[in-house]
Amino acid sequence: MFPFFVYPLALLALAALPVLAAIYLFRHRFRRRTVSSLLLWRFQMPSREGGAKIQRIQLPLLFFLELLALLCLVMAASGPQWRQPGAGRPLIVVLDDSFSMRAVYEAVSARDRALEYLERHFRRQPPPSVRLVLAGSQPRLAGAPVRTWSELARQLVGWTCHAPQAALEAALTLASELGNQQANILILTDHPPVDERMAGDRLRWHAFGQPSANLAIVNASRVSHAEQDRCLLEIANYAATPQLARVTVQAGSNTLQTSSLTLAPNERQRLVFEIPGRAPLLEAALEPDALGEDNTVQLLPPIRPRVRVQVAITNAAMHELLSRTLEVTGLRAALSVDPELVIHQASGAVHGTNAWDLRWVLPSAEEGVAFTGPFVIDTSHPLTEGLALEGMVWTAATNLALSPGTVPVITAGNIPLVLAREDALGRRHLTLNLDPGLSTLHNTPGWPILFWNLLRWRATEQPGLSERNFRLGAEVELRTAGQPATVTRPDGVVVQFVETSDRLSLETPLPGHYLVSLGTATNAFVVNPLAADESALTGCATGRWGGWKDEEAQRRQLASAVWIFGLAALAIMVVHLVLLAPRAKGSR
Amino acid sequence: MKPSVRQALREGEQLGLRYSLLMPQTTASGATGSRLGRRTGSSIDFQDYRDYEPGDDLRFIDWGVYARTDRLTIKLFREEVTPHLDLILDGSRSMGLEESAKPEAAAKLGALLATAAANVQCTHAVWLSGEGFHRLANDSHPPSTWDGLGFDSVRNLDQSLDLLGPRLRRLGVRVLISDLLWPAQPIHTIRRLREGAAALFVIQLLGRDDVTPPEQGSLRLIDSETGETTELYVDAGVSRQYRDGLARLQQSWDDTCRQCGAHLTTLIAEELESSLARLESMQLVAPA
Repeated sequence: MFPFFVYPLALLALAALPVLAAIYLFRHRFRRRTVSSLLLWRFQMPSREGGAKIQRIQLPLLFFLELLALLCLVMAASGPQWRQPGAGRPLIVVLDDSFSMRAVYEAVSARDRALEYLERHFRRQPPPSVRLVLAGSQPRLAGAPVRTWSELARQLVGWTCHAPQAALEAALTLASELGNQQANILILTDHPPVDERMAGDRLRWHAFGQPSANLAIVNASRVSHAEQDRCLLEIANYAATPQLARVTVQAGSNTLQTSSLTLAPNERQRLVFEIPGRAPLLEAALEPDALGEDNTVQLLPPIRPRVRVQVAITNAAMHELLSRTLEVTGLRAALSVDPELVIHQASGAVHGTNAWDLRWVLPSAEEGVAFTGPFVIDTSHPLTEGLALEGMVWTAATNLALSPGTVPVITAGNIPLVLAREDALGRRHLTLNLDPGLSTLHNTPGWPILFWNLLRWRATEQPGLSERNFRLGAEVELRTAGQPATVTRPDGVVVQFVETSDRLSLETPLPGHYLVSLGTATNAFVVNPLAADESALTGCATGRWGGWKDEEAQRRQLASAVWIFGLAALAIMVVHLVLLAPRAKGSR
Repeated sequence: MKPSVRQALREGEQLGLRYSLLMPQTTASGATGSRLGRRTGSSIDFQDYRDYEPGDDLRFIDWGVYARTDRLTIKLFREEVTPHLDLILDGSRSMGLEESAKPEAAAKLGALLATAAANVQCTHAVWLSGEGFHRLANDSHPPSTWDGLGFDSVRNLDQSLDLLGPRLRRLGVRVLISDLLWPAQPIHTIRRLREGAAALFVIQLLGRDDVTPPEQGSLRLIDSETGETTELYVDAGVSRQYRDGLARLQQSWDDTCRQCGAHLTTLIAEELESSLARLESMQLVAPA
């Protein structure tokens, strides 16, 4: 089969062949030489290279070897490629893994139609290898390249279409890099490409979606509001016509609320209601439509963090002030045993492995200096969120002794007013330099804000979850405090984390209930598929864009033959060397 | 005659002034001359007595002996001879090879020997081979006056001997200057030259190219005398065979010379002046 040359200009080097021949012809041309007598040139035994044999063959074998080596090198330089019959390009399939692929049209989802097409394509024109790239929130490989449909089918089990979005661009980039400009890329999705003029000749885009009207819950939340939980549901109408949405809210088997909303095309409406805080799992549902994933949300009661605080202040007025302040934050636990925060006036360290401490430094009358500002606040610190100190009087000691590692949070000039330090165990040691008798801070909103921030900060450092309701694909932060954790996913898969650091980030690839076992405690959180872009099915389409150049060429793969010629040249040169070695030895 | 050969004759003549031809005592034979001969003669040097025989010259009867012994006794005196050098030059084309110093070296060597002979009152004749042997013009005069010295004969020395041999003087010293490169039995040549000679010296004069074969490569070799050609590829093996062949040829000439009482030496034309010591070592010349 005639080879295809990548660098045909390299064939110009063939001009070196006649040059070599000329060199040999001139080199091996008989030089005339007159000798005294031929008496001494008549040998009984002819030379190995001389005599009659050489007279017949004017060019030695070395010439032909060099000629062949040169020819091979020229061929190798020209980059010959052969079309191998029967072989085709490898195929990389980019699969849209978002949950819009689960939208049903005529009882068949887009995923199933894409799967059917893929199987049909594979059986009709089996590529030498197939690799799957799942385009979810992040592109990821489904496995190693496979050659048979059975192997491919095993990998396709992982194509569940639960992702809240499809990063097709990133998946396409990954596929291009994997294909190294040699593989064909097939994209199976439910919507057309952004630019329908597909560039390149190795990319084919197949969409199997159908534009459908869809009512979807695109936002849902449940937050604590005093003793009640406030719930929010946002319903969107992705249709060209107005739609009536019937929302049913249930807690267990009890129907808490049923609402009917009339939504204009592409309109969103919010439904806000309150339920008792003790109500367990809440489930809101719309009536079935094309996409069932976004018709239901589940909301667990929010976590109400509480901090066990021990107030070890001997001054009764200050004790009273603190107790009242802590109560109004709503974050103080009823119990104070095994405290998580100790407020005291002692100068020594607080015992216990888990307790933070707030040391309240009360300056004496001689040491106290009143400051009216300006106050310098580290606004990035958790203690100062929402804190404003303008117009207040803050009396503090000016000769405060600082421990190493102490960071000022609030200062008046160079006088620290609030200090923070973290020890080797991760405990926080805070210092409040304040004389309440000569200050106005406790009479301002800044006072409860300061303590609310303190308790909230302490609460966020407690082991466990900070929230219980998440969107699909969100990262769930789990504070483990070094304890082993076990996570049970909605599909029953159990993931164990035997050794953990202080925090874990859990993936939420599937909607539904997740159970987290941390030590002896068990927490649960729920993941809801809330993604407006995936719920909007009006942009879906069926069609094919782009294509692979030359269908016949797909079955004929260009294989480089450079190595063949390179190896041949090497072998010839080795033979040349072997033939030349004894001659060189003889000439020495 | 080529100017270079003429110049070589002049240089050889100058060079020969430093040497004297060594004449072996056994070789003292020839016409009446200035040197004592081997045989009895008419010199004043008494040699021996013998009984008178009829026909002896009465002038040499020792009358004193007759008076004492009553026997006629003849006094014998040594003869006086003039020694002679016959220079036999190979005039074949192989001696005049172009790009070789052989013709100049042969001329220089001949002139040197002729001058060395003249230094010891020795006559000389120069025979050049060709279509038979012939004497050079003015060969009895100083070498610078020689004429007709050319090396262009297509016949080798053996063939020239067959055609017309040189009239070599009996009991003279003979020196053959040749490259000895022809296909013949050396005994044939040496015997003919050695016959009647007091001594025969064979000087094989080779060019450097004769001793050292050409470097590796394809060659079309042309015989300088016959014009015959042969083509071959010279490599290390061929070079080795060539050297072996040359050594065998020299050995055969050397053996023949020893067998016939002649002396052989080999000189390289391009290194002539540095190898003149060999002439001394073979007792042909001595510093004057």
